[in-house]
Amino acid sequence: MQAVLERELVEQQWTQEQQEVDLCLDVTDLSIFYGPKQAVKNVSMPIKRHSITALIGPSGCGKSTFLRSINRMNDGIKGFKAEGNILYDDVNLLDANIDPVALRKEIGMVFQRPNPFPNSILKNVTLPLKEHGLKSKAKREEYAETYLKQVGLWDEVKDRLHESALSLSGGQQQRLCIARTLAIQPSVLLLDEPASALDPIATAKIEELLLKLKEKYTIVLVTHNLQQAARVADDTAFFYQGEIVEFSDTKTFFQSPKEKRSEDYISGRFG
Amino acid sequence: MQRRKLADKTATVVLTMFAAIIVIILTALLGYVLSLGIQQVNWDFLTSKSSSFRAGGGIQDQLFNSFYILLWTMIFTIPLGLAGGIYMAEYAKDNRITAFIRICIETLASLPSIVLGMFGLLIFVNATGMGYSILAGALTLTIFNLPIMIRTCENALRAVPLELKEGGLALGYTHWRTITTVLLPSAFPSILTGIILSCGLVFGEAAALLYSAGMTTPKLDFGNLNPFASDSPLNIMRPAETLSVHIWKVNSEGIIPDLRDVADGGAAVLVTVILIFNISARVFGSWLHKKLTAK
Repeated sequence: MQAVLERELVEQQWTQEQQEVDLCLDVTDLSIFYGPKQAVKNVSMPIKRHSITALIGPSGCGKSTFLRSINRMNDGIKGFKAEGNILYDDVNLLDANIDPVALRKEIGMVFQRPNPFPNSILKNVTLPLKEHGLKSKAKREEYAETYLKQVGLWDEVKDRLHESALSLSGGQQQRLCIARTLAIQPSVLLLDEPASALDPIATAKIEELLLKLKEKYTIVLVTHNLQQAARVADDTAFFYQGEIVEFSDTKTFFQSPKEKRSEDYISGRFG
Repeated sequence: MQRRKLADKTATVVLTMFAAIIVIILTALLGYVLSLGIQQVNWDFLTSKSSSFRAGGGIQDQLFNSFYILLWTMIFTIPLGLAGGIYMAEYAKDNRITAFIRICIETLASLPSIVLGMFGLLIFVNATGMGYSILAGALTLTIFNLPIMIRTCENALRAVPLELKEGGLALGYTHWRTITTVLLPSAFPSILTGIILSCGLVFGEAAALLYSAGMTTPKLDFGNLNPFASDSPLNIMRPAETLSVHIWKVNSEGIIPDLRDVADGGAAVLVTVILIFNISARVFGSWLHKKLTAK
């Protein structure tokens, strides 16, 4: 009797814990096609709010395709088709009624190669704000300061705000791109190998920043760098040939992977 | 090994030779035109009216007409060319209609300008009844210049890195706003260079204008700025002989005693202006590019 009760209690706690997991994005049965080629196969992945989820895997495994489907950046590609669900606040983002333009304000994206606009440093942050209807110039510049501080760039650029953004170093440019994305106040950040074009010091700064940002944002990070995933991610998904081989919390994934292929990939035997 | 080295050396020598030949032809031509013409060119030549019978006429009206027709041509061409270029680079789907449009643009680009001139005569001059006029000339030159302009704009837009475009889209810009705030500013240096280069082409064009803007100029009063007055230089409904048409006319049917001098001087001025267009396109384009990329 006692034993049964105890077990029930444990089960209750367990289900409670399950319910407490606050999902930001819930991907179920996602398949993505480019013409006849299937790039992502039946992928399901719960993405927790205010956490960093890393997507790893060899080139061409579908991780970037997966990421770019969340904010519908693949829409313009010829032959692109997505099936399944990407639930965000109980809305399927793949629904034809979803306006990608409005969606991208909610779900921001940072790219592999830093892509600041050929304007001044300041304008890179203020122009998107203007685009989204913030009329007061003073307010825009105040926001710019806030977000440049948030990415740790303010002290480096405050005396040269009107210089071209392209005069910045690669790492600074990438942080500027993150600031610009944060300024339009998304709740999710998608990062597509944001540090792969940067040197180790700039990379460390970006990682530090990501760990700080996850308090306010839900972050999905595609990376080639396994150490990076191990350092920053809460959950890790290993993609291989369009499928998820393994998805678990990062610690488990790197210390005791369940799948042979994950183990091989982590230890550098393929990929 | 020996043979491959020899082939490499031969290729270098032959290609350098061809490049040198091109440079020699160009400098010889320019040298010839300028050395003959430069003695005729002085302030008086540039600012006096041409004469029909006596020696000592200038090219004032013709020079003005050339620039004025160029101005109107660009007023028509730039918006049309931009619109066409934006459509071809950003909106045209990869299908048969687009392929057909592309063939049309290419054919238009390769039409002989005299044919365009005849088209201008039939459509603008005769069918609309506007007669030989600056407007008819500018419209004809617009057709002449449009394919180049569309291609320039399309190529310039396509050359903008995809990351920049995606950067705009990912920030929640609409497609149109991405074009106007991200793509066009980035493409601007190349577009401007293309526009200035095509100014040189338009400025020197003669055949397309013979039967559209005409081969005469009414007596102009440069003090009269009312664009509706028949003697106003600004009137776009008046016939206008441009500099290159003037050179052709003086040479082929002129009866002035100093026709050779006038033609030489006119040619020198024409070539100089075109050179200025070409050089400034390069200088201005690279300056803008530098300014934009801060490098």
